[in-house]
Amino acid sequence: MPNQSNNAYALTTLCPILPGVPDDLPPEISHMNGQTHSACIRYLLQDVFRVSVNSPMAKVPNTYLSRFYILQDVPYQGHPAILEHLKSEYLVFSSNFHGDLEPYLEGMWANVKPEIQALLPHCWGSENVRDSASFIAYIRKCQIETTFFFVGSTDEPLDVQLKSLYLKQEFSKFVFENQGKSKEEIQRAFAEFERRTQPVNTDAPTWVAGAYSLDTVVKGAGE
Amino acid sequence: MIPQSALELQDIQGNIVKAYGRYGFPRARYVFYRVDDARKGRKFVENVAPLVTTSVPWSGAGVDIPDVAVNIAFTYEGLWHLDVPEETLHGFPDEFSMGMKARRDILGDIGPNHYTRWDPIWTDKAHPFRQHVHILIGINGKEEDQLEAMYQRICCILGESDGVELLTGHRGPGGAEDLAYQPAIAADSDKEHFGYSDGISSPYFEGCGESPRYILGGGKPTGQDPTKPEGWAPLAAGEFILGQPDESGAYSEAPGPPLFARNGTYMVYRKLHQNVGTFNALLAEEGRKYSGGPEEFAAKLSGRWRNGAPLPLYPTGAEADKFASELVAAEAKARSASATKQDKDEFERLRLKLTAYDYTDDNDGAKCPFGAHTRRMNPRSALEFGVKGAFDSPGALSNRRRILRRGLPYGHVSDPTRDDGDHGVVMMILNADLSRQFEFVQQQWTNYGNDFRLGNDQDPLLGNHGINVNGRGTGRMLIEGDGKTRVPYFCGGMPTLVETRGGDYFFIPSMTCLRMIAMGVVDPT
Repeated sequence: MPNQSNNAYALTTLCPILPGVPDDLPPEISHMNGQTHSACIRYLLQDVFRVSVNSPMAKVPNTYLSRFYILQDVPYQGHPAILEHLKSEYLVFSSNFHGDLEPYLEGMWANVKPEIQALLPHCWGSENVRDSASFIAYIRKCQIETTFFFVGSTDEPLDVQLKSLYLKQEFSKFVFENQGKSKEEIQRAFAEFERRTQPVNTDAPTWVAGAYSLDTVVKGAGE
Repeated sequence: MIPQSALELQDIQGNIVKAYGRYGFPRARYVFYRVDDARKGRKFVENVAPLVTTSVPWSGAGVDIPDVAVNIAFTYEGLWHLDVPEETLHGFPDEFSMGMKARRDILGDIGPNHYTRWDPIWTDKAHPFRQHVHILIGINGKEEDQLEAMYQRICCILGESDGVELLTGHRGPGGAEDLAYQPAIAADSDKEHFGYSDGISSPYFEGCGESPRYILGGGKPTGQDPTKPEGWAPLAAGEFILGQPDESGAYSEAPGPPLFARNGTYMVYRKLHQNVGTFNALLAEEGRKYSGGPEEFAAKLSGRWRNGAPLPLYPTGAEADKFASELVAAEAKARSASATKQDKDEFERLRLKLTAYDYTDDNDGAKCPFGAHTRRMNPRSALEFGVKGAFDSPGALSNRRRILRRGLPYGHVSDPTRDDGDHGVVMMILNADLSRQFEFVQQQWTNYGNDFRLGNDQDPLLGNHGINVNGRGTGRMLIEGDGKTRVPYFCGGMPTLVETRGGDYFFIPSMTCLRMIAMGVVDPT
């Protein structure tokens, strides 16, 4: 199945964006009054959702990588190509994740419902999206086949991968801290390392989804 | 007789082909100017031009080595202030017109390297971000009085041009903030302030007119025996000189008319402060933990022992010391009045050991770590990672990243336990493409490690290692084990050892271009 490669799923969704200007806007984007639906979506994506450096999609379980963007039109290649246009602008939502589509979208509804409810009113046919089931139905309607895709990840569930990343970082720290010590000291330190890091417990301690680094590193002061 | 050369050496400024240090010029002064009146600025350039040293070889009959060498270069703003036409200026690549401050994110000039910490000369108080240094004149020489005489001569020329200002504001010893020029001197033979022998190898390119022996280790690797001339081929002149074909067979990006850029090049001037106290403390601390001790640790950071012996050929301190003392003895013998041909050949044989090598026998990094400074800066054929024929040529990933290094240490270390004080290196880097060569090396090979399979580890000596929330350095280096008795050593928490204290990007024009700038006849149409 072209949308799947082993346990990795590549979702591609094109949601048609409403033409024209919205009638009324929620308070957080009220200053976009008079701007198009498309401009409102872009503002939400570029500013409102960017509450920190991390995307709200980090909250959705099993997300490897996801991306939202606006497809405005097809580019014109110049004479003698024929000038063509799309019927509307589209909100493109793509996501690479672990597992099947429905549980993933359920997780999305459960964790980023406010963001979905802010975006979708600017898209065609979204007025029936009220709950998880209707959200899944809407996404299925907008889904297109991904065909080729590259899985930049192992085939494990995200929590296993995050735990692996965490352990790799922690183990590297362990090596720096304990090299040169006696066998007994290293064994003792390693037992403590195992107790602290709990290698088989994928819930905790672990790498936080969406985080760039395990430590808070200040890369230089200055500007 | 002047050797035949494909290059017009009489039109190319001398600092491009000559590392003046090799000609017994251990001293330099770097003097900077700002031009406020274009006409007077051009007059100044016109009067300085006859003093400028060219690349004509100093070897051979009828060619005397001068007392001093003078060279001149311009920033983008400088050329603008000398009325070089807009259309010509627009032909310069973006990185040159932006200047070094604006390229700080690429260069790692953040944190302790940020321009707010640079010597005052680099900051125009009203516009701290702008380039206000316009002209650089470098004077290299043997003796201080000869430098002084030339400096005074140029000051006299300046006296006649009141639209040009000599910029003060170099930091110096004893808290000085306002020196009129940047002095530099290789006081202790060829050692820089961390105690390493420096300036050992330099790229060798077609038509450079330098002795052919420098091709060993200086050219590009051919895949044959690195200890023999056939192991190396000269790099294309266009890697270092504009208007000449480069390694891809093309000309580097340069402004028109063609005559303007031809035989010129770009130069990076960087004043680099050395944290000598931190370096010595690092050697002492890590040297206690690292099985090879502090001196071997120092060698692993650099890729060479501090006496210059390269790690791939001399993996142990005993071998390196033996080599170094043999080299010193052989040099004394070869330079004595009674020297025989055998004496000279023996010195030559030993001297070549400093450069005529590659990493073919060290593909696991057991002798010279992958992250060592010299292996990063000039990987030779090492980016093949032991796969012969991995690319079209063994240097495919490094031949276009070579840079000419021209520069000298400055200042004096009075207290080796302290970082403050005035000591470091004035680095000058010459290349035909700032972005492809210098900036790539700085961004990818100095402040990153992926090309060497080292993740984001940085050059241990030059990297801007950053600090964590506790103020501790975050640099890391892996010293590979030998797979037998020596286990790998992981050095963490490394502090930043070298900090930028000023600099900018300069254009070194050809002699023809220099005269055209002075006359105001540059015509891009």
